[in-house]
Amino acid sequence: MFTKSQLHLAKTFIKIYYRDRQSLAFSLMFPLIFTGIFLFSGGEPDPTDIGLVNQSQNELSIRFVELVKEKDIFAVTEGSEADLREQLIKGDLTALIIIPIDFNQSNTGRLRLLLDASQVRQVDAIRDSLDSLLLSIERELRDTQPLFKLELEDVKARPQRYIDFLLPGILAYMLMNLCIAGSGYNLVEYRRRGILKRLFVTPIKPKDFIISIVLARMFIVIIQLSVILALAIGLLKINVLGGLYSLFGVIVLGAFIFLCIGFFLGSLAKTQEAIRPIALLFTLPQLILSGIFFPISSLPMLIQPIAQALPLSVIASSMRAIANDGASLFAIHFNLIGIVAWMFVSFFIATKFFDWQKVAS
Amino acid sequence: MGIIKATNLEKHYPNPENPLVTFAAVNDVSLDIEPEEIFGLLGPNGAGKTTTLEMIEGLTSIDKGNVFIDDIDVRKQPYAVKKIIGVQLQSNEYFDRLNLSDLLLLFASLYATSIDPKALLAKVNLENKIKAKPDDLSGGQKQRFSIACALVNNPKILFLDEPTTGLDPQAKRNLWNLAKTLNAEGMTIVLTTHNMEEAEYLCDRIAIMDQGSIIAQDTPQQLILDYAPEPPEIPLRGNIEDVFLALTGHGLRD
Repeated sequence: MFTKSQLHLAKTFIKIYYRDRQSLAFSLMFPLIFTGIFLFSGGEPDPTDIGLVNQSQNELSIRFVELVKEKDIFAVTEGSEADLREQLIKGDLTALIIIPIDFNQSNTGRLRLLLDASQVRQVDAIRDSLDSLLLSIERELRDTQPLFKLELEDVKARPQRYIDFLLPGILAYMLMNLCIAGSGYNLVEYRRRGILKRLFVTPIKPKDFIISIVLARMFIVIIQLSVILALAIGLLKINVLGGLYSLFGVIVLGAFIFLCIGFFLGSLAKTQEAIRPIALLFTLPQLILSGIFFPISSLPMLIQPIAQALPLSVIASSMRAIANDGASLFAIHFNLIGIVAWMFVSFFIATKFFDWQKVAS
Repeated sequence: MGIIKATNLEKHYPNPENPLVTFAAVNDVSLDIEPEEIFGLLGPNGAGKTTTLEMIEGLTSIDKGNVFIDDIDVRKQPYAVKKIIGVQLQSNEYFDRLNLSDLLLLFASLYATSIDPKALLAKVNLENKIKAKPDDLSGGQKQRFSIACALVNNPKILFLDEPTTGLDPQAKRNLWNLAKTLNAEGMTIVLTTHNMEEAEYLCDRIAIMDQGSIIAQDTPQQLILDYAPEPPEIPLRGNIEDVFLALTGHGLRD
């Protein structure tokens, strides 16, 4: 299947990488820092810091304070209005609830909510949960049963934390970056130093060179991602519901796509300085648009179809479907069509633009 | 019958100042190099020596003309040609973190052949550097290693592009001796240089290039008879380099 020359060259690339102790150490650092961060936060976003001023101190207000404190999403600080107001302005608190002296049943109690409007995303959540808190206190006091009750039920019936959502996307994003650095950056460097020219003095063909780098980098990337995955499963208790074979199958196909795109970008870039902005132009929009940190469905409607077609999107959503939902390769056949399409496109542009006579000179 | 036959080679590049106009880096160059000779391409910088060499080696595309090496058409079968030639380039950088042995084995694998790195390094006097990295070598050692790399496929023809540029006199003489030894074993050698002494000492025949064209071609002796001015009345005994070598000795300094 592979020639001896291709395998020897691939082995050499792996040897070069393995002997580069510094980059080896740094490539292990990222997954360690990543798991460290989530290990401390338990994989959940931090509770929102709010201040509470109880000016009334009657039975009703004390009951209200108790109920607020029970909520996991809040970290409550009590104190005087002046103190807490200062903390709010400094940004230590996101909101400040003031229970006025006249907070009682007869006065259909009014709460004051002081906010830092720049924290837009949290403001809505705070208001909603305060509203529902007030409603439940009201019912308790009036001793009425709620007319409607909302029961949250996860249709997929499995514990889903933010970290579970995040991990497959992060893996896909790392896969993309490692591959583009592995083929694109190296290609530019080997060309600049005249190493490519030296290689093409010998009877190897451009195809042999591309196959060797792809083989070597695939091997390296799979090891790197395995380390991260092992840390995530071992330390962060990530649930990978689907088969690991399917997951690594997608990783291998993704590595192929991004390595080919790396070759293409490396052929476009004429200098070592140019490859960085060119690579960023490719990777940065995908970091935002490919549903790595938040779902694509939260993007504006117009952008969604484009976002879904991006190579990182098809890889990340396939990996997420396998890891989070336990999907089989067959179940994600729609994504697989996208992956195969990108494999053809990326291989075509890689071989079309990799002109060794130009690249080597 | 020549082992290298180049006829009417041309290479045009866009002019860097005005890309719409091209200039001829190589213009109507024809060469007929005999087996087992040492042939020198001489000329000032930018004369087109390297471009000519790279067209013959199949490294640069040929705009016009033909090259046959050992009766193989370079334009039609560049890979067949690359199998029987060895090339030393002007720049000799290699992959990082590989030692001389790793690199020689790598190059050998690209020719799908096997070698004994130690024996090959002994040939160029580097057998005790087998575990060294190219960056640890001196200029002369680097050049000799680069020749070792060009020998992994036991080539019929060896191309050397300015092999002694930047070397001290000892290293230069050492490299000349290596070239002579390889030639005596039956290897055809084609080299470029702008060192006249090198051309005179080493080459059986010389072609002098300027501005993309060959302006003279013959044996060094004949070229001297044809073009050199009359000698001065009292000739000096040798030159400063002979003095330098007599005082510092011929031993290699690296």
